[in-house]
Amino acid sequence: MLANQHVLEGNRLVNDLTSSNLKSSETGIESQRIIARYMLDLGAEASIHKFHRQLNHFHPLHFFSSPDSGIIEENYSCSSYGINTVGIIRAPRGDGKEAIVLVTPYNALKSGLGEALSIGIAYSVFSLLSQVTWLAKDIIWLVADSRYGEYAAVSAWLRDYQTPKFSSLSTLDAEMCPDIDNLYDLKVNSITGSKFSSSFKRAGTMAAALVLKVRNKSDQFEDTISIYAEASNGQMPNLDLINVVNYLAVHRQGLHVKVEKLWSLLNSSWLKILGEIFESLGKVAKSLNPKWKFGITATEYVEGTATLASSLYYQALGLPTGPHGAFRDYQIDAITLEILPKFSSDKVRHSDILLRGGRLIEGVIRSVNNLLEKFHQSFFLYLLTSPSKFVSVGVYMIAFALLIAPLPIVAASLYVDASSLGNCSKSDKSTPSASLDTDEHSITIGSWMWLNSAKLVFLVHLWGAIVSLIPYVICQIPDCTPTTSFMIWVLLSMLSFLTLYSVLASPLSCAKASQEKEWALVKSVTISSVFIGLGLMSVINFATAEIGALLMVPMCLLARPLKLDVRAGTLRSFSRMIGNLVLGLIAFPPAAFFLLKGMLDGFGSVNVGAFWIWVESLWAWNSATYLFIGMVHLPCWVLCIHILLHTC
Amino acid sequence: MVPLCYCRFLDRLQLRELKDSLIIFCTDVFSAMLIRATGQNLRLAYLFSLESLDLVKQIEVSEILSSGDIAALIYLWNPFTIVACVGLSTSPVENMAVILCLYGACSRLIPLAAFGWVIATHLSLYPAILIIPVIFLLGCGPDAPPRKLFLQRHQQEEVLNQSKLPLGFSWRPIIHFAFWALLWSVYVLVLCGISLKQFGGIWEMFKSTYGFILTVEDLSPNIGVLWYFFAEVFDFFRNFFLIVFHVNIIFMILPLAIRLCHRPCFLAFVYIAIFSMLKSYPSVGDSALYLGLLGWFVNELADMQFSFFLFCGYFGVSLLSPVMHNLWIWRGTGNANFYFATAMVYACLQIILVVEGVSAMLNHDRKLRNLTTGKPRDAKS
Repeated sequence: MLANQHVLEGNRLVNDLTSSNLKSSETGIESQRIIARYMLDLGAEASIHKFHRQLNHFHPLHFFSSPDSGIIEENYSCSSYGINTVGIIRAPRGDGKEAIVLVTPYNALKSGLGEALSIGIAYSVFSLLSQVTWLAKDIIWLVADSRYGEYAAVSAWLRDYQTPKFSSLSTLDAEMCPDIDNLYDLKVNSITGSKFSSSFKRAGTMAAALVLKVRNKSDQFEDTISIYAEASNGQMPNLDLINVVNYLAVHRQGLHVKVEKLWSLLNSSWLKILGEIFESLGKVAKSLNPKWKFGITATEYVEGTATLASSLYYQALGLPTGPHGAFRDYQIDAITLEILPKFSSDKVRHSDILLRGGRLIEGVIRSVNNLLEKFHQSFFLYLLTSPSKFVSVGVYMIAFALLIAPLPIVAASLYVDASSLGNCSKSDKSTPSASLDTDEHSITIGSWMWLNSAKLVFLVHLWGAIVSLIPYVICQIPDCTPTTSFMIWVLLSMLSFLTLYSVLASPLSCAKASQEKEWALVKSVTISSVFIGLGLMSVINFATAEIGALLMVPMCLLARPLKLDVRAGTLRSFSRMIGNLVLGLIAFPPAAFFLLKGMLDGFGSVNVGAFWIWVESLWAWNSATYLFIGMVHLPCWVLCIHILLHTC
Repeated sequence: MVPLCYCRFLDRLQLRELKDSLIIFCTDVFSAMLIRATGQNLRLAYLFSLESLDLVKQIEVSEILSSGDIAALIYLWNPFTIVACVGLSTSPVENMAVILCLYGACSRLIPLAAFGWVIATHLSLYPAILIIPVIFLLGCGPDAPPRKLFLQRHQQEEVLNQSKLPLGFSWRPIIHFAFWALLWSVYVLVLCGISLKQFGGIWEMFKSTYGFILTVEDLSPNIGVLWYFFAEVFDFFRNFFLIVFHVNIIFMILPLAIRLCHRPCFLAFVYIAIFSMLKSYPSVGDSALYLGLLGWFVNELADMQFSFFLFCGYFGVSLLSPVMHNLWIWRGTGNANFYFATAMVYACLQIILVVEGVSAMLNHDRKLRNLTTGKPRDAKS
């Protein structure tokens, strides 16, 4: 159990770090040295890991490959490297095949009290773990140098951990950069016979990882922990990890646990009304049969919805919400814990935070340590509605399946109608005795009429692929503001569309047979392709597919040539026309983005460049959402507009 | 254009052994050329049979697509073929042996047919059952409507024009074929025996090639269904189910041979589709072969139902199954069932394709019969 002596040691480190921060600010080597010395004092192995900053690359297909492929070695200068400090405790009872990772991001150049406190917590736990006998898995403590971002440091360390290098590249680098040599010399001089090494140190495979942060500037009324779990492409760590943290934090340490919420939803009145309706329904149900307990209170409902919406949103973006995302790429369960202490400034509070945070971390590490296997029993696919509640894949898939179930049905009915009408219109003209003859004439068309429409759909998807590759070219242009980049993108996409259209216009425009029903076939093929795309995306990243389906399914199902509706002139066709136009406007990806952003942040802040920045972040983080928008959503929108404007 | 596309793929991968890939690429192109030649043969036979049935007016000749070109194009542009070629799989070579056999049989080059058959059997065992369509091809010529249709037609006209009748079954070429097949197989076995002397001789080769195919020892995931089944099945049932699965293929041979004996090439297509579905280690290269051969029968299968459904199904499954594999192997969030589900859907699609293809072909025959017998009725139109 974490005792006061460990907390005192942790406090000492915090004080040293904050004071060293005051006296010297030269490249932050100093603080790294202090941490390394503290690690060595505990009898742990310490090493440093030097990494280079990775620039953003355009690799949209990266999500599909293993994470270590496609890393290109570049010429780095000494000015852009970071230094991670790594401490390893070898387990007295283990065989060294498994390890638990504790990560504390730390920016030596401008560290606040919060980062120092997080290191203090990690250190107090580390000092405890260096003495205990029950440890069966190695403990790795990574102090990630976050001057180029927390994620970059952690992912660089993980990449080097998982892909052993057999060349002497690292030593060459060290020679080139004198600062590091400096650090080694100091080490060797100060501590004789230490376990410090300049080479990369490894322990076993990682069972789980915890990223610990303390945010100092907070206005909470009680000690709170936020949990961030979303990794790239909406992948989540095993639910058991979150459950362990939540249970220990709430029931042992008395901390308040929260997950991210969409704050703007909390105040919406329609949600409140909906919640009240559900509450009263629950009451009615309970009065009918006391065993029925599905009633929830209105506030709970609103909060659950806000959390669910934010969970859906962050998963759909496909960007990791913290450094834990780097672990998920190697199938390691990881979460970020952000401790938000109660507002105060005295020293006693610090040691209280150290004690409670340290005990929480200790408990989690102990739980993982006692496991024989990695987490695998619980869910990987879920959406959180509160720290202790979730919606599992078996439940949310039903809703999604119901949402996209009409697509194949409508596609089939349209297809059958179109092909049978094509035949009927001909045989009506001739006498029944000649029906055999007409059958023979349709022998070449037969059931392969859809090929024409399939060609059109294929071409539009090809165009979608071209559009999603164009940013690769735009990236190469130096000194582009987001707005101009976006404009160039739009122009180039239009140009490519026109080129494709003019080159392949003749096969597109000449649909010889059954012109009047051509749009139905196009719609049928479009709907099928959308169905396949959504089904595929629901496997890769459910949240994206869900949001995409909400936009695309009504648009696909409603689409009908405007000319037909105008000709019909009834109220029904008129309303359908309005619906089509509105959906056609909303479902255009940039328009949908601006609308959503406007609703969340207010329309004042919306500008054209924001979309470009958003898209850039998507491809820089290898989000599959980018491909989905380019290859499924945009072609679908274009095809629906094609159907709307169809001349029949 | 196609080689260009291939070359780009090859450049992309920066393959060290470009020579190997070049061989496989040439194999694919050669197969496509053979498919085209065979398709033209089949088209001529189709036209000839229409002429002898006096149906040329009903079915305008210009509307009859040149099935050889279509089949060759389908084979070359099929993503499955491209994937198998880029992946340096050996299935293009096996496919070429099968196509060589069919080409030889169609153009009555008996030694070539025997050579193709022996090599194909040697490479992947399952094409052994292609001996039945090859015998029909050599015995009574390429695909034609049923023979009794011709007889009916000529009885009706009461003019026994022997030249318009298709030839009856002749045993001579078959004896030739048997002789050549024996010769080639002895030749291949002797060569194998010489080269494998130091590795345990020819019995060791049988054990570790045909034995490996028949006992399904390797259970690594593939697009078939057997790996999952044999990973799950209890050990003492294993032999029983091995027999069941292999007899499954053999059971289908006889009924299909009886029903489709007048269309040997189509029979070969059905056999290939069936064994590429039920074989122990299927790959997309096998599907590439039968999908290419499907192009031979565009005229006959024009009225095939579910074509759109099948297309969407193949498209969806071929996209979904790598994603499921990724989810299971790389991300660790899925499990084997996810991937196996796509394999099952794929098997179902293949079954539907075969069933629909056969029924469309039989419908086509029925339509031809209606046209010939109902000729006086719709002669005016």
